[in-house]
Amino acid sequence: MIELKNVNYRIQGASILKDITLSFAPHRFNVVLGPNGAGKTTLLKIATGVLAPSDGEIRLDNKNIKSYSGKALAVRRAVLSQQYEIAFPLSAYEVVMMGRYPHFGAKASANDREIIENALDTVGMTHKIKQNYQTLSGGEKQKIQMARVLAQIWNQPDDQDHKYLFLDEPTTNLDIRYQLQLLELAKSILRHNTTVIAILHDLNLSFQYGDNFFFLHNGQLASHTDQKQTISKELVEKIYNVKVEKWTSPSLNDYWQFQIS
Amino acid sequence: MLKKLSFSQIYLLLAILLALTVLASLSIGSIHFNPSEVLDYLLYGSGFKSHFIGTELDKNIFLQLRLPRVLLCGFTGAVLSVSGVLMQGLFRNPIVEPGLVGTSAGAALGASILFVFGKENLFSFTAPLGSFVLPVMAFTGSFLATILVYSIASSFGKVNVFILLLTGIAINAICNAGTGILSYLARDPQARSITFWNLGTFTTADWRSANIVGVSFVGCYLMARRYAKSLNALMLGEEEARFLGIDTKRLTRQLLIINTIMVAIATAMVGVIAFVGLIIPHLLRLMRSSDYRFLIPASALLGAGLMEICDICARVIIPPAELPIGIITSIIGAPVFILILIKQLLKHD
Repeated sequence: MIELKNVNYRIQGASILKDITLSFAPHRFNVVLGPNGAGKTTLLKIATGVLAPSDGEIRLDNKNIKSYSGKALAVRRAVLSQQYEIAFPLSAYEVVMMGRYPHFGAKASANDREIIENALDTVGMTHKIKQNYQTLSGGEKQKIQMARVLAQIWNQPDDQDHKYLFLDEPTTNLDIRYQLQLLELAKSILRHNTTVIAILHDLNLSFQYGDNFFFLHNGQLASHTDQKQTISKELVEKIYNVKVEKWTSPSLNDYWQFQIS
Repeated sequence: MLKKLSFSQIYLLLAILLALTVLASLSIGSIHFNPSEVLDYLLYGSGFKSHFIGTELDKNIFLQLRLPRVLLCGFTGAVLSVSGVLMQGLFRNPIVEPGLVGTSAGAALGASILFVFGKENLFSFTAPLGSFVLPVMAFTGSFLATILVYSIASSFGKVNVFILLLTGIAINAICNAGTGILSYLARDPQARSITFWNLGTFTTADWRSANIVGVSFVGCYLMARRYAKSLNALMLGEEEARFLGIDTKRLTRQLLIINTIMVAIATAMVGVIAFVGLIIPHLLRLMRSSDYRFLIPASALLGAGLMEICDICARVIIPPAELPIGIITSIIGAPVFILILIKQLLKHD
């Protein structure tokens, strides 16, 4: 479990996060929501241990995150960020291989290669492994990056550590089918002793896939619930400063519609 | 075509190329040695044979001038190429090389200060350094210039290629101005050595310089190989590398130090040789892969081999005089640099 206790983050006099206390529920799809500038990305950096809070504590599996080495963290949590561009020509396979770097010394083992193949198979990109990564489409690049982070925390039978997958706005730049595929995939790995924490912008997709919702507003935790039925129109209207209409559909999930207020 | 070969097969090919160029470089020059003479002198020089066929003068030319020159040339080529690879990895940009980011110009300025003011009356700390004073001065100049370019170019988070190039130009100009003032102040023999130095030359090669560059190269190379995986991960982005457990601040500091040590020492001995660090890695990336575990050893081999070829050209184009080697590498290198730059700019638009 990842817990944040009274976390504050200030930079150059500006308060980005204010007294945040929360815990990401294990084996759940945790969704962090909020408008631009609410502090979501900062929260993600702090929860992953790459950014130290100004004060407060982060605990990963009941130990202070500061007590983990960079490598110990890397085998427990992976992050799919929004940075997909690589300035040098590399094959797609080599990019996925990087996910296993924290696990081997000089040379990848047969087991590492098997995991890479499984990860590539999971995202459906096995046929593209030899292609230059730079020539892939945006959606394909993202699938390769997804395979890389899956390979990084791939759960093996002898490995008792709980794993965490962070997704930073993973559906940006993807068409609707890719978006659904990616979120289905994220949901499916919850079974493998893994917790997912995602920053999402699309509220409808969030409510369709998420289990646990954290609303950030002006650096504060405005609301938290694991009952999506209880998320009120008024809360969303206040946080995003829009007008909201909520429709009930018999076949699909509830549908939210937004208008400038 | 080379894409199908394994890394080891490419190393083998490059090693054969290097061996051939070394052999050619040992034979060709103002005095030609045929291969049997080369072999004979090598065996005599290394103590396997007590006699040699040629004259005493030929033997001395070969063992005291030609052989150290060929070694110095090979090590320098390897240093500059590996340095180019490391810097490109660190700046995450294929257009970086030690000549463009101030490393070489800073080393030149440090060394010029020493040439002009002399070892004895420079600073109180220089006397105990003895013969290491030149490398130390070159390293200091080089390190300050590189760190300045790096910190300005990366001060906006992501390394910006335009700011990087412009800062490199500015810092190079400052260093060159300093070197210029010094050569203006200098008496004639000193000025001559500064001029030669800014164009790069192997004419002053001796066993001492070959040994110093050789040892520093081997040490830095072995350290650099340990960072190959981290450099690969850095291609994903600085933050992404940290998510993979890499301490990027420490990596940056250590790579800058290793890189500056080897470039400064080589530059202190042979002067400024531009563009080698740019072309060699570029060729290898095109030929096979950008995997740093491959690029570091392969560029050492290819860099050494191509530098031997450039040095042969320097010796045979206008005999009996010699062209400064930096002129040859610039003539070949500058167009390649422009091509890479255009390619990169096209991709960004």
